[in-house]
Amino acid sequence: MGGILSLPVLGVAVIYGITGIPNFAIGVIGVFGGFVTWYFLSYSMGLAIAIGVGVCFIIGWIVQRVLLTPISEMGGDATLFFIITIAVGFVFEGMLRAIFPRPNISLELPRIGTISFAGYSVEGFKIIALLFAIGTLIIIRLMEEHTEVGKSWQATSQNLKLAKLIGIKTTQVFSIASGIGCALACIGAIFWGSLYNLQLSSGWDLGFLGFIVAVVGGIGNIWGGLISALIMGMVMSFSGYLLGGEWQSVILYCIVILVLIIAPKGILGSERSL
Amino acid sequence: MSEQVLKVTDLTTCYGSISAIKSISFYALDREIVGIVGPNGAGKTTLLESIAGSVQPLEGIIEFLGHRIEHWSVLKRRQLGLMLIPQEANIFPMMSVKKNLEVSVILSDRDKREELISYAYELFPILYERRKQIASTLSGGQQRMLAVGIGIASNARVMLIDEPSIGLAPKLVTKFFETLKKIRDDTKKTIVLSEQNIKVLNIADRLFGLEAGEIRFDERKENLSRDAVKDLYLGSIS
Amino acid sequence: MKDHYEKISTVGILLLPLLFVLRGGYLQEVTGYVYLFLIQGYVAWFLFFKSGQPFFGYSVTMAIGAYGTIVLNVMFGWPVLGAMFISAAFAPVVGVILYLATIRAKGFYVSMTSFLLAILFPRLINALQDITGGRSGLYFSGITEFVGYKTLYIIVIVWTVVVAIIFLWLMGTKTGKILTLISENDRLTQAVGINTFRYKLLAYTIAGFISGLGGALYVNYTGFISSIDIEVFTTLYIFFIPLIGGSSLFFGPILGALFVILIPELLVPVERYFRIFFGLIFILVIVLLPEGLAPNVQKLFRRIRKNKE
Ligand SMILES: Nc1ncnc2c1ncn2[C@@H]1O[C@H](COP(=O)(O)OP(=O)(O)O)[C@@H](O)[C@H]1O
Ligand SMILES: [Mg+2]
Repeated sequence: MGGILSLPVLGVAVIYGITGIPNFAIGVIGVFGGFVTWYFLSYSMGLAIAIGVGVCFIIGWIVQRVLLTPISEMGGDATLFFIITIAVGFVFEGMLRAIFPRPNISLELPRIGTISFAGYSVEGFKIIALLFAIGTLIIIRLMEEHTEVGKSWQATSQNLKLAKLIGIKTTQVFSIASGIGCALACIGAIFWGSLYNLQLSSGWDLGFLGFIVAVVGGIGNIWGGLISALIMGMVMSFSGYLLGGEWQSVILYCIVILVLIIAPKGILGSERSL
Repeated sequence: MSEQVLKVTDLTTCYGSISAIKSISFYALDREIVGIVGPNGAGKTTLLESIAGSVQPLEGIIEFLGHRIEHWSVLKRRQLGLMLIPQEANIFPMMSVKKNLEVSVILSDRDKREELISYAYELFPILYERRKQIASTLSGGQQRMLAVGIGIASNARVMLIDEPSIGLAPKLVTKFFETLKKIRDDTKKTIVLSEQNIKVLNIADRLFGLEAGEIRFDERKENLSRDAVKDLYLGSIS
Repeated sequence: MKDHYEKISTVGILLLPLLFVLRGGYLQEVTGYVYLFLIQGYVAWFLFFKSGQPFFGYSVTMAIGAYGTIVLNVMFGWPVLGAMFISAAFAPVVGVILYLATIRAKGFYVSMTSFLLAILFPRLINALQDITGGRSGLYFSGITEFVGYKTLYIIVIVWTVVVAIIFLWLMGTKTGKILTLISENDRLTQAVGINTFRYKLLAYTIAGFISGLGGALYVNYTGFISSIDIEVFTTLYIFFIPLIGGSSLFFGPILGALFVILIPELLVPVERYFRIFFGLIFILVIVLLPEGLAPNVQKLFRRIRKNKE
């Protein structure tokens, strides 16, 4: 659970960390990509995944470039972005309904089996998802240290105005960040869809869970997001185990609301707050 | 007489319904150091940010190297060679000093980048000593130096610096200004700086007095009495 | 004088659907539904647009009123009216608690926590399935045991008008003016020595109560409620009502409610596309018409009138 959750969480953290815009639509966009992948799955698995993820990257790019960046330039606040990105989510959920009129799908990817560890057995996919998230994170970190592109991302996230003044193409950086965020959400959705199933409305859960888990970890704090994804994943499985499935998300949301109230900067803290 | 690299005509900028600068005309010659002086709230920051494109003027013309740039984006102005070092938030706080400089050379030629960074280190040796330190942990004065270092690394034709001496220890100010003058002499660039510190008289070729968003004087240093500059400040005190 | 004219015409237009009683049937049923949402729309108009409080828990306050009424009436045997008012009185607690809890943080925390609550609440209802019926819902006869369906319809219409008048009146009083001031510049209002805390608390209380009572009325009218009715999208639809109608005019919410409830009804043949449509309009209204539709429609009318003269 936590392993798969870590992907959309990372997506939220990347977008928020760089653009400062809370994007609640990325779950829906990711699930849209999941459906696209499912559609092409019969041709070739690799191709299908590439198309799904690519579509999400492009959608993320366009939404950012056409809608969110201009609004942030005009000085939109968090509440406005909250409303706008939810509306964006509506549009993509609507497109999902229009294009794929099926209530739910499951992606038949080759199973990796379960991995036993100290008496627990964990679905292989979950481990892979987690490794994937950690790998992406490490790549981002390495890029920030060693490449010009990475440095400009970091500069943009730390001081947008100065980044513009020294000549970084911040609009482009924003678009890339949004594309990457949505692509990560899509990969998360693909894993989710092969372990459980994807419903038309799954995107909301994926997006909101991703967002709130990122908040708990201290939004914009990427490592914090990963750790909190794991913890929240455990809390969810545990509460589901003890109290039955319906209570799972109730408890999760209660925890998040409490965290927001008690420690608005997240458990692990972050320079940015909402 | 050398050419005007930067020329502003009848520039007005408003925040909501309040105009912060009113119909300002202003110019800078090639290789000149121009000091914009005036008390707090005079509109110095607004003027510089309007020129750099961070705020949008209501009306007026901005010409830079013969181009009309008032509708250009910050990036496009920067690409043509105009750079502003803001008054506040002028470093990347969570990066090392070295990385701050490395990221700022982004628009310079690849083979010149090393040179620019070493030049910044040469001017401010303390930056070299602290190159691995995270920028936000530097002292206030060191952060100012880093900000100017970022300006040097960016290698712009005209450098606008907003109140570089603010928060600097008095005994450091003279030396700091001398360094700015050295930058101009070494790199043959134009520097426009806004100041409240009267020591700016020592380095500026020309002074431009601003008060309540309007021009008070625009004179070469030789023609200007110290009292005229002082009046501007006294005006704000009384 | 012009202001007065607008108020009277608002009330007049709002009362017009009383005529539908004569025909009954589908038109009457849908209109009642529109009005029940209009009440919530007025609450959002008052709390979000007029008082500047970024609250997104309208579906929650509404649900508390609705479920509270059923629980008190059916399980504890309270009289319907008593159950309705008591549960409505309980509804503001949500907003007030969230407001108090996030008081030191910025406004976005209220919107965030209240929205999360709006996601949480239907799940809580599902989890408490044994009492609430969860997704399969609860049936409720309530008031209709005593009064006919037509009478109930009239009550809904008249109560909506009363709510409209209450809010109109409230915004004209000193309290209303201070709330407007708060929505424009909270800190400045505080700086001139007004106890903004008290006024905000009052705004949450009034809004919560009216929303809760609206919810109680809703469940009497529809005779049924399930967790699906109070999904988080309900909050968004409610929020959309004053947004699309225009935040500054009283005509706005009416237009918005018609839009939000009727357009989907009209779009039933192409229902698949409804969400795309809804989302796009939502975005376009926010980006292109931040003042909402109503002021623009009014401008249009004014221009037409001028052309005639
Ligand atoms: N972001 C802003 N919003 C509103 N008013 C501002 C803003 N920035 C500056 N001002 C006002 O504009 C005037 C000029 O300010 P500024 O350009 O910062 O002056 P200076 O840099 O000379 O101190 C002041 O009266 C100030 O209050
Ligand atoms: Mg200033």
